[in-house]
Amino acid sequence: MRVTVNSSRRWLLIGGALLLVVTLGSTYLFLAAKTQAAPVAQAASGQPIAFNHQIMVQLGIQCLFCHTDARRSPAAGMPSVEKCMGCHRVIGTNVPTIQQVTDYWNRQQPIPWRRVNVVPRFVYYSHQVHVVAAGLNCERCHGDVGHMTVDRPVVRMNMGWCLGCHEQQPNAPQLRDCIVCHQ
Amino acid sequence: MTHKFTRRDFLKLGTAGIASAVLAGCEMPRRWVTLEPFVRPPEEQLAGVATWYASTCRQCPAGCGILVRTMNGRALKIEGNPEHPLNRGKLCARGQAGLQILYNPDRLSGAVQQTKRGSRDFRQLSWEAALNTLFSTIQAAGSSVIIWGGSTMSGHLYDLFQRFTAAIGAPAPVVFDLYTGMSGHRLLAEASRDLLGRVGLPIYDLSHADVALSFGADFLGTGLSSVRYGAEFGNFRSQPLGKRGYLVQLEPRMSITGAVADRWLPIRPGAEAMVAQAIARIIADQSLGPVDRVTRARTLAGNVDVNAVATASDISVEELQRLARSFATAEHPLAIPGDALTGQDNATEAVTAVQALNIIAGTVGQSGGFSLSTPAPSPALVKPVVSSLADVQKLIEQMRADQVKALMVYGANPAYDLPEEMGFTEALGHVPFVVSFAPIVDETAIWADLILPDRTYLESWGYEVVAPSFDVPVVGSQQPIVTPVFDARSTGDVLLTLAKGIPAAAKALSWADEVAFLIESIGQLPAGAAGGSGVDVLWARFQQHGGWWPASSPVSVPPASTLSQAIQVTPTRFEGSEQEYPYFLHLYLSNLLSDGRGANQPWLQGSPDPMTTVAWQTLVEINPNTAHQLGIQDGDVVRITSPHGELEAPVYTFPAIRPDTVAIPVGQGHSDYGRYARNRGGNVMRLVGAQAGAQGGNLNWATLRVKITRTGRKVALALFENKTGVTEGFVNQAFPGQ
Repeated sequence: MRVTVNSSRRWLLIGGALLLVVTLGSTYLFLAAKTQAAPVAQAASGQPIAFNHQIMVQLGIQCLFCHTDARRSPAAGMPSVEKCMGCHRVIGTNVPTIQQVTDYWNRQQPIPWRRVNVVPRFVYYSHQVHVVAAGLNCERCHGDVGHMTVDRPVVRMNMGWCLGCHEQQPNAPQLRDCIVCHQ
Repeated sequence: MTHKFTRRDFLKLGTAGIASAVLAGCEMPRRWVTLEPFVRPPEEQLAGVATWYASTCRQCPAGCGILVRTMNGRALKIEGNPEHPLNRGKLCARGQAGLQILYNPDRLSGAVQQTKRGSRDFRQLSWEAALNTLFSTIQAAGSSVIIWGGSTMSGHLYDLFQRFTAAIGAPAPVVFDLYTGMSGHRLLAEASRDLLGRVGLPIYDLSHADVALSFGADFLGTGLSSVRYGAEFGNFRSQPLGKRGYLVQLEPRMSITGAVADRWLPIRPGAEAMVAQAIARIIADQSLGPVDRVTRARTLAGNVDVNAVATASDISVEELQRLARSFATAEHPLAIPGDALTGQDNATEAVTAVQALNIIAGTVGQSGGFSLSTPAPSPALVKPVVSSLADVQKLIEQMRADQVKALMVYGANPAYDLPEEMGFTEALGHVPFVVSFAPIVDETAIWADLILPDRTYLESWGYEVVAPSFDVPVVGSQQPIVTPVFDARSTGDVLLTLAKGIPAAAKALSWADEVAFLIESIGQLPAGAAGGSGVDVLWARFQQHGGWWPASSPVSVPPASTLSQAIQVTPTRFEGSEQEYPYFLHLYLSNLLSDGRGANQPWLQGSPDPMTTVAWQTLVEINPNTAHQLGIQDGDVVRITSPHGELEAPVYTFPAIRPDTVAIPVGQGHSDYGRYARNRGGNVMRLVGAQAGAQGGNLNWATLRVKITRTGRKVALALFENKTGVTEGFVNQAFPGQ
């Protein structure tokens, strides 16, 4: 026996299925936009100055020379404009991007950098612990920034990724505890 | 034509809604986080680590120590300073809201000039041009310059103002605002002279008292130092060996202090002094308590008829006897005069009559007793001296007589604070040049020719000689927590710049800037708890710890009472006849907006009043029985008319108020003062007259009668708590027969 579905019924079913897909899909997209850091979308296209990390690293400048606070504070911090100008008052003064920095300095304005790597607000993360106590290199999480021109996110910094490393550590039972990151 | 909403319409709309949601969902998430590094980083800053700075709160004249949390140069949170001897880490809602003064969107950026007074047509002016205008006018005005200040101004600025006026031969600055007017700072300090031979604000060692009779003192809500009294009250309730203090509150409308008291006695307004005298009389007549108390009571008790007092105060003879007995037999009894006493026509007598009970108790200057605030630790440091109302009236007279050529208003808002009948605004018309230093345009600033916005207290330097100070003398420090958020200039520096051009003043005010002056003043403090030597170290520690105080309490000699005979209290006289104005008016400082200075801070506006849970509104509190008789319900707008003026506000029926009393909080009714304050509620000062009390010390704000008229309008009350099941349909047991 053949099951017949009349035409309007069929359309209703298809419509209903579509509706379901669209609703679920949009809900997912909406929630994804709200809850996830959406790291790839943070790519640095909108940086006020196309800062070239590669050149700095090639010249032998360590990450911690500029991001000094990484070894003594939870946040790595961004160098002050004054720090940039410490060298660039005399070095590379004819380079357009450096001239942009000089413009900010002359106006005494902060450079509105856009954050590249984001962890959600409910995550407690300390650079100091990872850099000083665990002795990690910056590249371990931020990728090979030394070979990038403008910095871009390479790691999706989510909980699985954090735990992937924490699980490998000798003190994994402690590092697995929720309150290590969700204080 | 009616349109039926069909199933098809529903589906259409639903599909449209989903489609728009999908489109919104498909949009690339824009969650940029901008990282703004410092241009020049402060030395002590670390990214992601908070820095705390110690300073002093300026939301009321008490002077609590605060710690402000900053991240990357921005102030984020204010807390109490645990080291500070006054508030020991505690802070009230007003103190917490201070950030909203700093970041207030209505703050002026840069100096402005007003083309026509009252037009609110402000033209931006460069600071140089503004200072030049100020200089030429003040120079031309000679000695006819008046400075009007508020009680919360920094001590160093008051000192500079004083030196400036002395140098140019002008009268000393007048300090008056509604906060000090309504809490009776001047009057209470002056009344101490009659009692203990020295001018000083009274302090009450509630921590060690066992029975406290509060004659309407809302010391937990507002008053002289509510945060300190909050801590004192905690100690009062949990003393060693399980002892618990017993608080009796006598007031016509239940305040937050009345709500936590053991007994609340709805006394008839104006009868407080009489009740205090009756208690003394009963102690004397019935020989209650220790012999020395009875002896003192016999000397100080006036010739009062206890039965007559019972009738006049609505407190029964038995109740009066109970109060007298518990007071006389307690080890550390305490009597506290309330704010309302200072607003009566017989204010000084009323305050003295209540304080006489403390003298009878014999605990003056002792543990659990009444004493006076310690004076400043060095003559180099000053506290603004609040002027009496007589001084204020004299000044207004001078203005009217065209004797004032220039008026500088700093940290006060007399156009809002003073009753209309005093004619301040009208007298301003006679002053050729008015300059205001208000960061936000207030009711006084709209009558100014020039506004030179000062920095707010989280951006400026200063110190505060804490008064009343309790165990030890304290000088609170004030330092900039953040770099100025708006283009404002410190008034201290403006004054020093101005003085440079006036030869007499240049000599008297020779400091390069206000910080140089401050360092010099602070350097004269004796050795303190923070230790150190040398001006640099002392100055640094003064900032670091939030002030100066001695390492140990100074040995205090209990002051001797100079009261030797009974106080003659003139019966309180109310303005307005009982027939025409059947209700007593009970005004009180709002716990959140205080005298109205908090009205520009939405955190304070939005915080529910602790007794009524009303926010954002002026309310008229009426007993439910009275409301029922008048056919008024919650939210009905009524017109309250006093012999001096009227005000319209919605009714809140409140069971803890006498049926013959109407209570209205102070604080709303601003016509200017920023978007959060403007056109909200009514200013109660419209109901108050210009008359000063018999001793000239304070406004007669507590002895007014009013009438209630229905307007027929109704508004929704912004209540945090529904009355259903709480006081809805309340039958008042406390007032049978009403």
